[in-house]
Amino acid sequence: MKLQAFIYPALGSLLLLCAWEVIGRNGLLGSTFPALSQVLRIFADGPRSALLVRSTLATLGSAAEGFATGVILGAAAAVVAHLVPPLRTGLDRMAVLVNALPVIALAPVLIITAGREGTPAALASVPVFFLIYTSTAVGLRGASARLEMMLLTLGANSWQRLTKFQAIAAVPQVVTGMKVATASAMIGAIVGEWFGAPSGLGVVVLNSMENFQIPLLWATVMVIAAITLSSYGLLTLGERAVRRRIGECDA
Amino acid sequence: MATLSLAAVTRSFQRRNSAGKRESFVALGPLDVQIGDGELVAVIGPSGCGKSTVLRLLAGLDMPSTGQVQINGRPPRELQAQQQLGIAFQEHALLPWRSVEGNLQLPFEVAGVPATAQRIGELVALAGLKGFEHARPSELSGGMRQRVAIARALALHPKLLLLDEPFGALDAVTRRRMNFELERIWLESRPTTLLVTHSVDEAVVLADRILVLTERPGRVRMDIRVPFARPRPAELVRSADFHNLVDELTASLEPA
Repeated sequence: MKLQAFIYPALGSLLLLCAWEVIGRNGLLGSTFPALSQVLRIFADGPRSALLVRSTLATLGSAAEGFATGVILGAAAAVVAHLVPPLRTGLDRMAVLVNALPVIALAPVLIITAGREGTPAALASVPVFFLIYTSTAVGLRGASARLEMMLLTLGANSWQRLTKFQAIAAVPQVVTGMKVATASAMIGAIVGEWFGAPSGLGVVVLNSMENFQIPLLWATVMVIAAITLSSYGLLTLGERAVRRRIGECDA
Repeated sequence: MATLSLAAVTRSFQRRNSAGKRESFVALGPLDVQIGDGELVAVIGPSGCGKSTVLRLLAGLDMPSTGQVQINGRPPRELQAQQQLGIAFQEHALLPWRSVEGNLQLPFEVAGVPATAQRIGELVALAGLKGFEHARPSELSGGMRQRVAIARALALHPKLLLLDEPFGALDAVTRRRMNFELERIWLESRPTTLLVTHSVDEAVVLADRILVLTERPGRVRMDIRVPFARPRPAELVRSADFHNLVDELTASLEPA
């Protein structure tokens, strides 16, 4: 059973990769669809792979910076909204508003405020802020009513209820939010790089597209996909560990 | 210690009537009850009679619509704020990420009182859980969890102990054993106690006094003393006196 669960997806993936190779070699989808082997050759090419490593580090740096900023601000805003009910509606609306703004429309504003180098991280932080604000708020408000009542009867004040119970019970929800937010941070960072950042995967994507370096373009996209998928995978593992450690409040 | 007084207490709730309009209905009362210091009083009654509402009113979790609820002549919230209230619910309400010891430390942390290793050890022993100090709630049986919850309720020597169907989720055999365990635990400090239960047996085994509530709106139909001496022996439940009392109370629960 366990083996089958592993074999079928592996076979499926292998089949897709073979199809990619065959289609690319025979030019079935035109000259902009290269074969897998052509794309992989980029990684063996010294200068180009060095370019990809450099760019990956730059993009990862911006994405991580934006991610951290968004997580800290989002969680802090959610805690403030939780502790100060009069601010709650306002902060909820602000978060929704920030999320409703198209990132592309924000970019020019960010360029004149955060600068070309700061824009990728700033753009990455926007969707992360919204996702973490929402998941933290849901986690804090959704904490078990039974345990809430128990703490009230023990005479716990709202700060004690937050630190001893709600904040801990909310962690799994926050980690789930972080899992979803990793991909958003990558998108934000890459799009941010399109507005004149000095280096990064977004810059390579643009340049290789404009210069018709098709295999390089595909290789860059592959790197981006690998980063997003592995960070998602890592946080899925983290999420499982956290849920196991914290346990179910209503069990 | 604590004396409780409910004077002309009612509690009304809103509901939608058959026409879909909001209307208020009285769920509880009027209720006049005095409970003396160190009494263990059980409240029984048909489901929906407002037993748990009485407990919530005394815990300061709910406010009466009319009348007054007082503990030692003061509002219940004050007792709650002074960490003088111990409470255990039907579901154990333990923090799932804390061990038995960690959960027993919680009341001390909230009150800002240092939890000495000796006091925690006493509470572990009280719950009969020596050797399980570091177990998490998910690793304990239902009866063990409930004993932790009751020990936690007693941690700060509360003046008032409120028990809301504390053994309602347990099987009959465990429940009976837990009843005698609770008496043992309770006799060590004898706080004024209100036990809400739907089990007549449980009420007779544990209580000094039993209040039988009527169907909604819940009022006191019967207020009787339980004559058995403490500590009550396990054989009590096989005696004729016990069964007569249980029968009488069960009959009183039937709709009039």
